[in-house]
Amino acid sequence: MVRGKARPWYASAEGAGYLFLLPWGIGFLCLSLGPILWSLYLSFTDFDLLTAPDWVGTANYVRMFTADAKFMTSVRVTFVYVLFSVPLKLVFALVVAILLNRGIRGLPLYRALFYLPSLLGASVAIAILWRQLFAGNGLVNQFLAQFGIEGPSWISNPNYSLWTLIVLAVWQFGSPMIVFLAGLRQIPADVYEAAQIDGASRWRQFVRITVPLLTPVIFFNAIIQTIDAFKTFTPAFIISNGSGGPVNSLLFYTLYLYQEAFGYFRMGYASALAWVLLIIIALFTAFAFLTSRYWVHYDE
Amino acid sequence: MTNNATLSEATTRSRLVGILVHVLLIGASIAMIYPLLWMLSASFRPENEIFSSASLIPSSFSLRSYIEGWNGLPVSFGRFFSNSFLVAILCVIGNVFSCSLAAFAFARLDFRGRRVFFALMLMTLMLPYHVTLIPQYVLFRGLGWVNTFLPLVVPKFLAVDAFFIFLMVQFFRGIPKELDEAAMMDGCSPWRIYWKVIMPLSMPVLATASIFTFIWTWDDFLGPLIYLNDMEQYTAMLGLRTFVDSTGVSNFGGLFAMSVLSLVPVFGFFLVFQKLLIEGIATTGMKR
Repeated sequence: MVRGKARPWYASAEGAGYLFLLPWGIGFLCLSLGPILWSLYLSFTDFDLLTAPDWVGTANYVRMFTADAKFMTSVRVTFVYVLFSVPLKLVFALVVAILLNRGIRGLPLYRALFYLPSLLGASVAIAILWRQLFAGNGLVNQFLAQFGIEGPSWISNPNYSLWTLIVLAVWQFGSPMIVFLAGLRQIPADVYEAAQIDGASRWRQFVRITVPLLTPVIFFNAIIQTIDAFKTFTPAFIISNGSGGPVNSLLFYTLYLYQEAFGYFRMGYASALAWVLLIIIALFTAFAFLTSRYWVHYDE
Repeated sequence: MTNNATLSEATTRSRLVGILVHVLLIGASIAMIYPLLWMLSASFRPENEIFSSASLIPSSFSLRSYIEGWNGLPVSFGRFFSNSFLVAILCVIGNVFSCSLAAFAFARLDFRGRRVFFALMLMTLMLPYHVTLIPQYVLFRGLGWVNTFLPLVVPKFLAVDAFFIFLMVQFFRGIPKELDEAAMMDGCSPWRIYWKVIMPLSMPVLATASIFTFIWTWDDFLGPLIYLNDMEQYTAMLGLRTFVDSTGVSNFGGLFAMSVLSLVPVFGFFLVFQKLLIEGIATTGMKR
């Protein structure tokens, strides 16, 4: 064998393996694992950043569920947002993907146009644009006025403000749409041909072939989009000017967490909030995976 | 005869459906990008005309918004943009370097504990960043890094974006193992194999990671919001936010002009790397 003893330790597969993994290892210990444990500890303390953390047991969690109306509000706002924005977004994404999948001319152009809002959407600039579009004298109301409808001032009215953010989320249906397009392309054409020969209508083909064969992709998109929706921060912050208002109607969970941590420096309480979010997301993901066996078809 | 008639009837019908679909799609895509075009057009309009019309063509063309916006804050937007570029480029270098090292170890090297480490790495993939946000802040504050770019950049050199490691592992595994073995026979060290064999063959995945890192860092708002207090250090996103606050409702032209400028780098990447970006989304489901 050539692999003689002359090879220094760092050149052996074993030594090199650890060496190559070193940056990740440091990052994992100092920026992931360490902080996770630390944050769990902090969640049982009062910590204002200046004095040492003060152990308070489960007081943070108790307060959250019994005495903190703002926490409840932020959970409600976030759930309403997730519940409406994600399904709507997925429906738009699927419908447009199916329209585009007909071997249509100009597909790259359409795909690009529909994807663009998704790509730019994470920017502060888009949140600012949204604020102006839905302002009292904004473009949306100017448009409605042409039909004689006097629109409310969407952003400053707590009955509507959350819906402007849902519209913003749905507007960004481009990236799940692209995933759907890729999934649709995997469905073999002969399945449809066979169905056509049997005289199945287009709708029947959609319900009996497209949707079942697409369930793995639907499942994937639903998980990714839901986790992402739970984490929404920037548009809520920009549109409400960091306050979560009007009347806490835009107090997203992450915004509330930010306020507690970096507005009031209640780091212990904010850590508890972070852990509850982790548990919510984990429960949701586990639930999705557990139910998936009943509706996601992986068979060929 | 009847057969032919139904056939041509069917083609006419499918042609009609085709036209209908196109009309629908054109209408929808116009609605989709109308807000973006409107902002672009508003940024070139004279101040008093910004909200007066929904038309996309300005009655007169003015660059005033750009000039006033650029200098609308005590620190010029030029500074914010160069800060953003600096941070984004450092993050790209960090991510590509550290993630590819880890991915190379996971995909190509045999060592004890590899599977365990790989499982741990996959677990961090699912972790919402909120859980580590506060301890990381306390840590970086303790190190005296607040108000520097270090908290934004250093984590990228420590491969915290597990997502890209995962992506690269998948890619590296697709490269024939014989290449390593042949190089090993020639006396190449793992380091040389990584640098001379794997990296040059992995340009597609490295480019994907670079582009997404750049765009995400460019758009990042929470990180700079937490760590940067001094306006000299602001990134473009923080600059925009400050612009909203400080000018209130007075200088919409400038606000739109700077918003448009802040979208230019992302849009530029989109134009140049459209195919790569869309393939990246299609195969991995990456958001944004």
